[in-house]
Amino acid sequence: MNTVRLVIASVALIVLLVTSAMAHHSAAAQDFGRRVEIEGVIKVWEVANPHGRVIIEVTDAKGKRDIEYETHSRNNMYRSGYRDGMMKAGDKIKISIAPNRDGSDGGYITGFVTAKGDKVGN
Amino acid sequence: MVHRMIASFQVSLAVLVFASLGFAQARGNTERPDFSGVWTNYQSGQPGQRGGRGAGTQAELPYTPEAKRKMDEYQALVRPTGDTPGGYCLGTGMPGSMLGSGGYPMEVIQRADQITVVYEAHNEIRRIYFGNRVIPVADRLPERNGYSVGRWEGNTLVVETEQLTEIVSQRFAHSAQAKIVERYTLTEENGRKVLTAEMTLTDPAFYTKPVSETKRWSIVPNGFLMTYECNEPLWERHLEELKKKAPGK
Repeated sequence: MNTVRLVIASVALIVLLVTSAMAHHSAAAQDFGRRVEIEGVIKVWEVANPHGRVIIEVTDAKGKRDIEYETHSRNNMYRSGYRDGMMKAGDKIKISIAPNRDGSDGGYITGFVTAKGDKVGN
Repeated sequence: MVHRMIASFQVSLAVLVFASLGFAQARGNTERPDFSGVWTNYQSGQPGQRGGRGAGTQAELPYTPEAKRKMDEYQALVRPTGDTPGGYCLGTGMPGSMLGSGGYPMEVIQRADQITVVYEAHNEIRRIYFGNRVIPVADRLPERNGYSVGRWEGNTLVVETEQLTEIVSQRFAHSAQAKIVERYTLTEENGRKVLTAEMTLTDPAFYTKPVSETKRWSIVPNGFLMTYECNEPLWERHLEELKKKAPGK
């Protein structure tokens, strides 16, 4: 029973995040059917409405660089588990994103795991 | 003496009966369905079953050529950037504010003379007035959510909304002449309250015939709304710009 409730809650959360994202701007630029995980170090994390702004220092095959991402609204982040003081500049973080369709750096953060292991979204 | 006592008793009895009738009538007038509470998109409790607004693909609406021209012009303007009013902290306006609520929850505060509806997204607020609270049409200013007047038809709340501004940035685009009628009913499923709104939009300037949509919400026990602060980053960036331009910088 608890598993069923968890599945319903998870599906509802995903639908909420995606539909709410689409309500605020066109989601055409990002592929919400794909999920990519990226690790890096937080440089800027602005929690705001209608969307948050995040800059993460990422090191991968293309080298080290700062990449800007968009997050969901402050209100929906809160409902997905975000709490004040959960992360700060300099912290390591693992993000899940809907990547840009054109393959460029950036995308829409749908969830993340902090260095302490706190999980928000999916 | 006996006659005076009987007469006095009859008067007292009459007063008591009329007072009781009046009390009963007053109670009858206030015993309406209580829509108060916090509401989210309808949830049936079954995996894969969602309610909310009309399920399935959205049918093409019977826009007039003039409406289509205005909407196409707007889309050509914003499509390259994906901009929306919400991205600029502007509320959707009716009927989108109502039909889109639920992802971000909706709160209903019900009084006999006014029902206040708060949509969390963009802090949009509608006030539905009853009876003496309704002001003359000439004293109303057009707004994105219009001016709403309510009445009860049995247990159905009927809300008529006019004095809307023209909005082309939502599916149910409309002119300033639009009239929206919502019929709200309360039911219960598996012990949980369900609120249903049947909306009809009439606007000869934008539609060749009235258009309708049904929206459902489920109650959220002990639910709460958050404030939707939206302009703060914009204001902080403006302050940074002012600092750069300040004398001595």
